[in-house]
Amino acid sequence: MNWISLTISNAKRRLIRTLVTVGGVAVAVASLCSLLAFERGYERGMHGELDRLGAHILVVPKGCPYDAASIALHGASWPCYLKSAYLQRVQSAQGVETAAPLLMNALYDSSGGQVTYLGAEPGLLRVKRSWHIQGAFPSAICDCLLGSSVAAKRGLKVGATFDLPGFTGERGKVCGVLGETQGADDTFIYMPLAAAQKLFKRPGQLTHILVRLSDPNAVESVVSDLRGCDAGMDMNVVPMAHLFRTIQGLLNSTRLLLGCIAAVALLIAGAGVSNTILMSVTERTREIGVMRAVGASRGDIFLLTWLETVLICALGGLGGLLLAAVASSAVEAWMRERLPFAPTGTLVHFDASNLAGCLAAALILGTIAGLLPAWRAAHLSPIEAMRTGSVGI
Amino acid sequence: MITLTRPNRINLAESVTPGVCAAEAVGLTKTYRRGAETVYALTEVSFSIAEGEMIVIVGPSGAGKTTLLHLLGCMDTPTSGQLYLGGQPANSLSDSALTRLRRERVGFVFQHFGLLPTLSVLENVMLPTIFSRRQTRHRAEELLEQVGMAHRLSHRPNELSGGEMQRVAIARALINSPTLLLADEPTGNLDTASGEAIIALFKSLNETGITIAVVTHNLTLAAAAHRRLTLKDGRLISDSSHHIASPQEGISP
Repeated sequence: MNWISLTISNAKRRLIRTLVTVGGVAVAVASLCSLLAFERGYERGMHGELDRLGAHILVVPKGCPYDAASIALHGASWPCYLKSAYLQRVQSAQGVETAAPLLMNALYDSSGGQVTYLGAEPGLLRVKRSWHIQGAFPSAICDCLLGSSVAAKRGLKVGATFDLPGFTGERGKVCGVLGETQGADDTFIYMPLAAAQKLFKRPGQLTHILVRLSDPNAVESVVSDLRGCDAGMDMNVVPMAHLFRTIQGLLNSTRLLLGCIAAVALLIAGAGVSNTILMSVTERTREIGVMRAVGASRGDIFLLTWLETVLICALGGLGGLLLAAVASSAVEAWMRERLPFAPTGTLVHFDASNLAGCLAAALILGTIAGLLPAWRAAHLSPIEAMRTGSVGI
Repeated sequence: MITLTRPNRINLAESVTPGVCAAEAVGLTKTYRRGAETVYALTEVSFSIAEGEMIVIVGPSGAGKTTLLHLLGCMDTPTSGQLYLGGQPANSLSDSALTRLRRERVGFVFQHFGLLPTLSVLENVMLPTIFSRRQTRHRAEELLEQVGMAHRLSHRPNELSGGEMQRVAIARALINSPTLLLADEPTGNLDTASGEAIIALFKSLNETGITIAVVTHNLTLAAAAHRRLTLKDGRLISDSSHHIASPQEGISP
């Protein structure tokens, strides 16, 4: 027998009450853990999304730049367009290494699913440097480069011909299949820009331009140059770093609210633990007297009571981590529905520091919550304790 | 008949300081506040207990017997007067020093046994060693063997009879090799046969050299003692050596 086994035997005495208290801590820790995992996952997702885009600046038609950025990142039909002529102006700006024009459109295919087409030029490959293509980039009018999931879903390989989904009587030939990118690119069908403009009846029009700079630190000067030109009146020049910060800023109120909920949950759980242990001390008053009689010091009684609190919080912490892991997919779906912009990929990401932090929070909670009951137990007069309270056997 | 084995006799004898009283009370007074009223639980009580002596403390309810026992066991401090344990003044000691004294020199046996219901018999006996940081499972098993409870090591207290529980409580009181064993109505909750077995155990313990002070109403136990202190209204009214109480004389409840 040792301190831990003595603590466990005390905690097991009112098993249901202990389990309910552990459950309260677990819910609080799970909410904290999910919040932190969401923070981490969202930030990672956004970074990954913007890295995959490969551009330093996004040029989109006038309107809400964040809506436009969301469409560019995830794929959809655009409400307005840029003139192809603006490409020349963007390309000629000082510091621009590559400007890749794109025309995006989304259609519903016969199965009811959405398919996104992107008209692009080979210059796109200088922006999307991480791409691995099996086959070639589209050059002929009917050539198509398929995202990996499109190819897998439709069972298409390089050289195959197929009916273009969402069209009637239009056929394409698979000239290449894109290696998996873990992003929205996997769901797109790329074709030559001219072919897309013809197919979607948008001659001389673009939806957006991806701009890569020779020096990423020169973003401000390029942006001010482009905003100051004549074409700048008709287009939004969006630095991706600003976009990232702004989207993060949009989430601040949500994060603050969730943070407050987690903090309140932790406080309530702490109060619950403290109350449970106080009740336990009251019930065991006579036993505490017996322990003092057989040689327990005030410090021993303090330690024993405090260990029980920490044990409950440690179990609650571990339970909370498990609960957060089990509920992560539900949390992710719930958050994705409510966010103004959500990156592709995992929104809720657990890492070791996150988990260790939550467990530490539970232990700190236990340490603090245990102080009052432990102090009260330790300062019970042995004589009073022997006279009152329920009787041991 | 339960007897203690030779090795234990030697250990107990070694812890006794020759020529020193096991306990000495000089003018012990204990008062409590009850609202505006001051209650005298003990008034000017003086006596000494020699090493190896077995005494009983008797008297009517409210006479201050248990208060005196708690003072002797350093569970409480007197309002005035002096208490010496093994020649060492106990009044001026801090709470932690009193705890240490209680842990190292005193063993307690209670009327209601005071066993922890969630612990096994063996764990209950080992409980004091957790606090003294000197855990010896072997000694706990040895003591349980000596009190005739070796066959019940893993049982819970609620699986035992009253007499068995009290034997476990006595083994627990002995685990830290105390020189003074204090018992508060140890036979009060037991039937006659169990009570007699516990009395025999106390006598056997006393023969090994351990000093014993017992609060009791039990005539047989009182008869087994070397000496009887009688309290009434918080005062020591008689201190008789080698007193043997007769059933007709009785002891006031």
